[in-house]
Amino acid sequence: MSDFAHPEVLVSTDWVAERLDAPDFRLVEVDVDSQAYNAGHLPGAVGFNWQTQLQDQVTRDILSKEQFEALIGGAGIGRDDTVVLYGDNHNWFAAYAFWLFKIYGHERVLLMDGGRNKWLADESKPLTTDVPEVTPVAYTASEPDASLRARVTDVLRVVDDGTHNLVDVRSPDEFTGKVIAPPGMSETAQRGGHIPGARSIPWAKAVNEDSTFKPREELERIYTAEAGVDQSRDTIAYCRIGERSSHTWFVLKYLLGIENVRNYDGSWTEYGSMVGVPIEQGAPQPANA
Amino acid sequence: MTTDRIVSSHASRVYDSPLDMLPSEDNPTPMVRVRGALEASGPRLPGYELYAKLEWLNPFASVKDRAAAALIEDLEQRDKIGPGRSVVEPTSGNTGLSLALIAAAKGYGMRAVVPNKVPLAKKVLLKLAGAELDVLNDNLCPAPGLGDGSVNLAKTHARAQPDRYAMPNQYENRANVLAHERTTGPEIWRQTEGRITHLFASLGTAGTITGLGRYLKGKDPDIRIVCVVPDEGHDVPGLRTPSALASTELYDESVIDEVLEINHQRAYTGARDVIRKDALLAGPSSGLIFEGARTVLERDRPESGVGVMIFCDDAFKYIDNFITHLPELAEGLSPTE
Repeated sequence: MSDFAHPEVLVSTDWVAERLDAPDFRLVEVDVDSQAYNAGHLPGAVGFNWQTQLQDQVTRDILSKEQFEALIGGAGIGRDDTVVLYGDNHNWFAAYAFWLFKIYGHERVLLMDGGRNKWLADESKPLTTDVPEVTPVAYTASEPDASLRARVTDVLRVVDDGTHNLVDVRSPDEFTGKVIAPPGMSETAQRGGHIPGARSIPWAKAVNEDSTFKPREELERIYTAEAGVDQSRDTIAYCRIGERSSHTWFVLKYLLGIENVRNYDGSWTEYGSMVGVPIEQGAPQPANA
Repeated sequence: MTTDRIVSSHASRVYDSPLDMLPSEDNPTPMVRVRGALEASGPRLPGYELYAKLEWLNPFASVKDRAAAALIEDLEQRDKIGPGRSVVEPTSGNTGLSLALIAAAKGYGMRAVVPNKVPLAKKVLLKLAGAELDVLNDNLCPAPGLGDGSVNLAKTHARAQPDRYAMPNQYENRANVLAHERTTGPEIWRQTEGRITHLFASLGTAGTITGLGRYLKGKDPDIRIVCVVPDEGHDVPGLRTPSALASTELYDESVIDEVLEINHQRAYTGARDVIRKDALLAGPSSGLIFEGARTVLERDRPESGVGVMIFCDDAFKYIDNFITHLPELAEGLSPTE
């Protein structure tokens, strides 16, 4: 797996395929909704619907500890189980689930490189509509690890002070403020632009067309040489609603090995609507600025 | 009244099944001379004949009938489809409709995977034709270069339940191209008596332009194959810009002489001109292709020649698009006070 900082968290589709008959892990598919999973999924995989199951449905927040325990235990996954995550959209939502698992202290979590897209591209890889039978177990999560998550107060403390990398993973038009949200999106904000000092690195730059992550050398070039991310600094990644940025959080922390990376899940829908917070518009600063 | 199968006849135009009406060299779609809209715009070209090949007169109402029939035949030959089994395909329009109706005629099922942004009329038509629909959630941040969600979902159905679903895959299946080498191309050659000098078509899966390019260049390498495309950000249903070509494997640039970009507004003004001046009910892609032909002819001013434009389908499905681009169409539609 190239020479990623933490290669142990990434497994290939072949690795998973070889172990399907006798897996010593729990396969979990995470998609934006249940359509893809229902049409066909990896044998033995349970499916989580990101919209309805991975977020609090009333308050804008991640799942509470109790909600997370109920979800994971209800899927028959124990605290000591190895969980292999994968999903649609370049593993976008699987990365979000990875972040959530880590917030609640689950130790053995892996991501299947390439997700559904890579699995589908190989005609020999099986898919099924059979839903596995699960036996619910009691799951005890840790208290949430706040070091993985940035709140708006954290962001405001470090805006433009040069101590942090702020990584904006949205499209260039969203970054500059030309549009507030991608066309047709209903969740927008009051203002367009970006957090002052943020670097613009659209999230999909980290993956190949088959949805696997690019090799380390290329990621170094994209994030550091071209965009100026200083890997010795603490880092906060954000997007529009916090799902794309968890994908980049994974890249920065596990592939590039930046020690302290947080996902700002409130992201632009929160920041761009707050009264009186500093906003910058226009093109990104050059890498050595 | 006999229930036995009658013998279909092109001569009398009496058929036992709509499948027997599918086009071929012996049963070509009509070509009609286009004069009015062309002459309205510029200098006359008395030595040049421009024709529109009316693909909406195919039995299932569009040029896609050709590809759809070939794709289903390909599945039959590979034993992937049969009574009680279904075709599954990502499609937002004509291909889905053609597939659904051909499937219905043959006793197969049809499942169409469509993006949510597809107009209501197309979704309803698919359901009317008996198709099951998967409507994709496109309320997501778009991801440049992302594998098209509808292609993946269709592939998933076919891979997870191969006894139930077979995916012809119009973007990769060469049967799409061969359909045009076997039907459209020979029809045009015969209908123009081998005199064709220009072929004007557009680009969706690239099946039409690649198939026609290969066939016609094989007959006469001097025939100019012109691919008319809309500009980026267009809304002409069914068409792609060259930058989106990565999504189809069928494009063969070696048989194409010119890729001509036309502003998509002209798809609608062009269609309107052809409808009003030549009494041909052109849809927006046909309007775009006409504008491409007009542009080439005004530029090159050939003294003689025969041009054939592929008019993919008619205007009926595109009322909302026409209103968007020609708002005057929506005026005066209520009783005056």
